[in-house]
Amino acid sequence: MGGRRVFVSGLGSELGTMVAGMLEAEPWVGALAGIDADPPRRRLPNTTFHRISPDQHDRIVETVTRFNPHVLVHIGVWEPDARASPKVAKTLTDQAATSIIGAAAECSAMEHLVVRSGIEIYGRGRDSLTRPDETAPIRPTSEWGRTVAEIEHIAARVSARVGVSVGAVRLAPVLGPHVPSPLGRMLRNPVVPFSLLADPPFAVITDRDAARAIVAAAREGLAEPVNVVASGAVTCLQALRRGRRIPFPLIGPDWQVARALSYLFGSPIPDHVAEVLHRGRLADNGRMAELLGVVPESTTSEVIDQLYGWPSIIRQPARVAAA
Amino acid sequence: MNIGSLDAVGRVLEFPRRLVVEPAGVVDDWGRDPGFVRQMIALSQLRWSVSVGGEQHLPRRQGALIVVNARRFALAPILAAFAISEAVDRPCRFVGRSDTAPLGPLGRRIGGLLDHPDEVFGALRAGELVVLGAAASTGLRQVGSVGRIKHEHVGAATAAGVQVYPAATMSSPFGRNARVEIGSATRPSRRRRGPLAELELADHLRRQIEQLLDEMGEIRTGTPIDWLPLSGLGGH
Repeated sequence: MGGRRVFVSGLGSELGTMVAGMLEAEPWVGALAGIDADPPRRRLPNTTFHRISPDQHDRIVETVTRFNPHVLVHIGVWEPDARASPKVAKTLTDQAATSIIGAAAECSAMEHLVVRSGIEIYGRGRDSLTRPDETAPIRPTSEWGRTVAEIEHIAARVSARVGVSVGAVRLAPVLGPHVPSPLGRMLRNPVVPFSLLADPPFAVITDRDAARAIVAAAREGLAEPVNVVASGAVTCLQALRRGRRIPFPLIGPDWQVARALSYLFGSPIPDHVAEVLHRGRLADNGRMAELLGVVPESTTSEVIDQLYGWPSIIRQPARVAAA
Repeated sequence: MNIGSLDAVGRVLEFPRRLVVEPAGVVDDWGRDPGFVRQMIALSQLRWSVSVGGEQHLPRRQGALIVVNARRFALAPILAAFAISEAVDRPCRFVGRSDTAPLGPLGRRIGGLLDHPDEVFGALRAGELVVLGAAASTGLRQVGSVGRIKHEHVGAATAAGVQVYPAATMSSPFGRNARVEIGSATRPSRRRRGPLAELELADHLRRQIEQLLDEMGEIRTGTPIDWLPLSGLGGH
């Protein structure tokens, strides 16, 4: 199995860099390459990086087909209000998915495709299951949920046409010290709104556990969806009490004002995060060990505690004025 | 006031201290809040004094579906879930929470699951104890009989590979005494390959619960007298 070529899209993100770092240490990986619009967050000595914007369709196709990977790991997705506004995030994600997965279909050596998805794909409509497993119907109720559903759909189409196996890693909201997450950013604010009448539970996952799951999916040749969620759950109020933040109870129409204020203070609340606060977000992670051979190292409550333990950005003035 | 009532009052008086002393809690994978459930059990003990029998039948770690009889407004599944949870010292959930705030979230906090076979299947596969109420009975002519049991939920238990247990509950609209009696695991009378298995299992469960109710020794005349709390265990 050694000597396989692995291509990673979204290498410049924190998660992509972490995945590439772990893949470099895997004995079955022979050559590793990746693309992104931004450079990787840390040194990857055994990875070839191509800096290409998602809208450069021809360059992406040429780069991917020239590398002719056996395994493609598609992490190049933009969560709304994480690094880009919802509209831009959707455009970039759509462009990247079409170009990269489309290019993978043209590669003769291509055997396996892993796509990063999210548990937002199940949606949180009325009477939707509390803890959906991988067989639950896909009924996304947020923009981010519809985006990841579209990525899985594109990958499934490629799988049907070309005959490669496709595994979808459905991640819970990913939190990490350097991961741009609208949920994590909001929870770290000094004053945080929460739904007084609902205060539903949600689960998260650390960037490290998410990266381990994606690498395991590539290694094991995952050929179906799998939920990657830390065990346990926490409600917004419980999270705020753990982080010693000031909870601000809201009931209904005042949410619009709270979201606008939060946006003005640099912490926008996109619709999929608002959904977490109103309807919760849980998923059954019972098949993780069976399909991937790994289980999360941190529980949801531990991740939340870590979230409040991570240091804030320290701004240091320049020693010498540039101009 | 008997010792049980004093004990219940004592637990309620402990509330403020617990709220301050206990750390910020977490909920489990299904949104059940163990700290909140403890408080609610203490509150429920003001209303009911529940004795549980037959809990030794239940598995220690694996999941199990416990089907109980129900009477309208008696909250039998919740009462049984709380009592069984206390008796076996592990979380016990019940089927039938709403999905609308504020009752839905409150139900989830105390261990409620949506009334959906997939939800029940997920919980049972995860090794949880789940209490399912039969259809609530109201009419006087139905005294001693058990309402319809949703065979889809029984099918979920079969699919999850867990045992199904009948349980009889008795409580009075006026008295404090209540009882939950759990029977031994139900086994299908004949092997079926199709959906008939769950239908027959549900029917068999009804008969077993009725038998358990009979064994609990209530007088059932089929007249309005059955609704009077003569023994403190009236109703069904």
